[in-house]
Amino acid sequence: MSERIIKTNEFLGESYTKISHESGLDIYVFPKKLTTTFAVFGTKYGSIDNKFRLKGEKEYIEVPNGIAHFLEHKLFDNENGPDTFSRYAEVGANANAFTSFDKTAYLFSCTENFRESLEILLDFVTKPYFTDKTVQKEQGIIGQEIRMGEDSPGRVLFFNLMKALYEKHSVQISIAGTVESIAEIDADLLYKCYNTFYNLNNMVLCVCGDVDIDEVVSVANSVLKKSPECEIERYFDEEPGNVSKEKITAKMQVAKPLFDIGLKDVDIPSEPCMRLKKAAGMAVLNEVMFSKSSSIFNDLYNEGLISGNFDYCYTISSSFAFNEISGESSDPEKVYGRVREYIKEMQAKGIDEKSFERCKKVIFADFIKSFDSTEEIACEMMSYIFEGCDLFDYAEVIKDLELDYVNLLLKEMFDDSFFAISTVCPL
Amino acid sequence: MYNVYNRVIFANTKKAGTITLEKIKITDGITLNIINTDKFKTNYLSFNFVTPLSREKVSYYALIPQVLMRGTKSYNDLASIKNKLDDLYAASVEGRVYRRGEYQICGITASWLMDKYAIDGTNITDGTLDVLEEIIFTPFLENGVFSNSYVESEKKNLIDDIRAIINNKNGYAIRRCQEEMCKDEAFGICEYGEEAVVESITSDELYRLYNELLETARVEIFYVGSGDMDKLCEKISKMFVDRERRYSEFKGAEVRKEVLQTKEVLEKCATMQGKLSLGFRTGTVLGEDDYNAFPVFVEMYGNSPVSKLFMNVREKLSLCYYCRAIPEGIKGVMVVTSGIEVSKKQEAQDEILAQLECVRNGEFTEDELILAKKSLKNAYDELNDSPASVESWYLTRRLAGVDDETETVARRFMDVTREDVIRVAKKIKLDTVYFLEGTMTGEVEDDDE
Repeated sequence: MSERIIKTNEFLGESYTKISHESGLDIYVFPKKLTTTFAVFGTKYGSIDNKFRLKGEKEYIEVPNGIAHFLEHKLFDNENGPDTFSRYAEVGANANAFTSFDKTAYLFSCTENFRESLEILLDFVTKPYFTDKTVQKEQGIIGQEIRMGEDSPGRVLFFNLMKALYEKHSVQISIAGTVESIAEIDADLLYKCYNTFYNLNNMVLCVCGDVDIDEVVSVANSVLKKSPECEIERYFDEEPGNVSKEKITAKMQVAKPLFDIGLKDVDIPSEPCMRLKKAAGMAVLNEVMFSKSSSIFNDLYNEGLISGNFDYCYTISSSFAFNEISGESSDPEKVYGRVREYIKEMQAKGIDEKSFERCKKVIFADFIKSFDSTEEIACEMMSYIFEGCDLFDYAEVIKDLELDYVNLLLKEMFDDSFFAISTVCPL
Repeated sequence: MYNVYNRVIFANTKKAGTITLEKIKITDGITLNIINTDKFKTNYLSFNFVTPLSREKVSYYALIPQVLMRGTKSYNDLASIKNKLDDLYAASVEGRVYRRGEYQICGITASWLMDKYAIDGTNITDGTLDVLEEIIFTPFLENGVFSNSYVESEKKNLIDDIRAIINNKNGYAIRRCQEEMCKDEAFGICEYGEEAVVESITSDELYRLYNELLETARVEIFYVGSGDMDKLCEKISKMFVDRERRYSEFKGAEVRKEVLQTKEVLEKCATMQGKLSLGFRTGTVLGEDDYNAFPVFVEMYGNSPVSKLFMNVREKLSLCYYCRAIPEGIKGVMVVTSGIEVSKKQEAQDEILAQLECVRNGEFTEDELILAKKSLKNAYDELNDSPASVESWYLTRRLAGVDDETETVARRFMDVTREDVIRVAKKIKLDTVYFLEGTMTGEVEDDDE
């Protein structure tokens, strides 16, 4: 019998059930009275996991860059009968998948035939079928996907920033790999990766919508077979504290230079709840420092140095963390200098109670707003679970944030040796 | 991994059950469209000022929302507006400009949390409506017109936006194809305006056109959310009560169904990939009886992962990552777009056209037709969970002069026969072949400093 735990957040008026399924899979069902039901079945395996072994194995295996994403594409093939998209189309569901740095996810949305759609999802993801012939066919398709990315100024900007910040860590490698790296992929390698990471103990299923928990469990009972216990060991080369290069510039067909200012964060808490706290703290700090009400934004905007496209984002996972400030400017160097000066001033001054409280409110409100979409809820849940946390915890973490903690982040995070800038300039 | 974007993303908000839309006439040419629902934690309100696309005014109207967002009578600058919105639990108010058929639509949208989530008892709804009203109706003025410095600064930003269209090559290739296809039609006008005209705009003239917009535009207001609808209606009516209106109805798009000769346009670009856009005149427009079958055709031909284009151009020939058909129902045009290796241009073009020929010749199974209908039905049902999608769908229908509901339209798709699909497919004519030829072959150049 699978164990069930119910979690509730009174303020949001939402709750969900966690089912520890006997197959090894953790299933989360979040009831929501909307038309669209959304399900996501994911594995904690992404583009950064390119060197790994199972506990007990002697050697680490190193696999070609882009293989997690390649595997995502190929899982849609089936040994017998129609391909996965056709199966979904039969029941009228809308299917997709994505690969990120640290996860691969298969998803569908539907407004009817939920049971049939869920059966397809659990079935095709647990039944791999790779041949060298089908692998070869996919190289042309993914090759064009990679080319599209290479032509995308935003993508080039971001991955060049990763290359600037990181010397060794695989986060600097483009998620889809390169045309050259994917040429090395064959069916055997795909099976090796699949058998390592697509173990149900390394996966979760999140469902959000107007669904019956028992129905979800009954589909899982009928489709899933128990996975053996597994412990995956991922290898990351030791990453130096400083940035790899301070500046990287690419020339592309763009109208105006784009910039992405990065800050490498080397102080990554090992406790998941501490990482969550840091994520919340940085969200508030970024909001105080760089939002449209901040002095730096308004000064640069009024001087015509930046446009309204000015974004900031902090990203943290167990093996990498960084902060970004991005936008477009006729003079990115000047913006870079001004941002760093401004940070120094703010470090000396510290942020005040009033701004802190206002921005806390903003982050809290943004969190509540994310509960209006079954897709957003299911995908966010999966991210939190893979990080070892709970979706509802974030609300409490934001509420409990203290000014001193955020000021401490401001003081300690922005060391000179942690900065880098990536720019994409017109040809 | 957490990605903590501090931005407000609204596009995915969802709703259950049937959508019923209540239309309230405020005054001549001004309609309030209400979708009353408490399924969401947020409320959504948008003001859409609709005008015919014209070379003369397009640049002015494109600039207006940006200037309005700079400051109001009580909140003189960006920071004051943002501070106020932060206090309203991160309410979001944004300006936008877009295009439907040969209409330019500019306006302001707002979304905000339901009042019950305000821990300190703030009336978020009233507060946001006040800010929204100020932004639209009482902008920050100097010497009786828009602030010169705001206008100058937003002119630069708008010119940057126009120039930045090329940054996104997929979108650029679709837009360029439409421009070439409709060179002497209003549809060929870019909704962000023209650089040279933007350059010449003065605060005086812009302010005059702002008032003209309030007086003459068709205004479609959409509300999706809960609360006291009578109060909302009264509040919105009041916003227009002392305003002069000189509204006269204007005509929809000019529809051309014939193609005398197919045009070929080649443009070079420093990219790895080539972008192929095939522009068609569909011969069927929204509002005609045949339009019931048209979305079914599009779905089956090129809008799903089991469509003919996906199954053949991508899956069978491995030519591309994406290949799909994008229709414009009001204007009666369609662009098939794909990103391919430059050397494969002819092969891709031949296959895209061959698949169209297949549909025309009835070379599709009953199953393909049923899957297309199922996919459309699901898409229509999912629409109800997103205020922005619902708004977009209804606005398009209203502009085409069609007064129907998602449910009835979705039901009508089910009756479409294979003969209907063949008939609409046969009317489609290739007008323009546009190719953005990538000239780079190696790796993207990195200058390491």
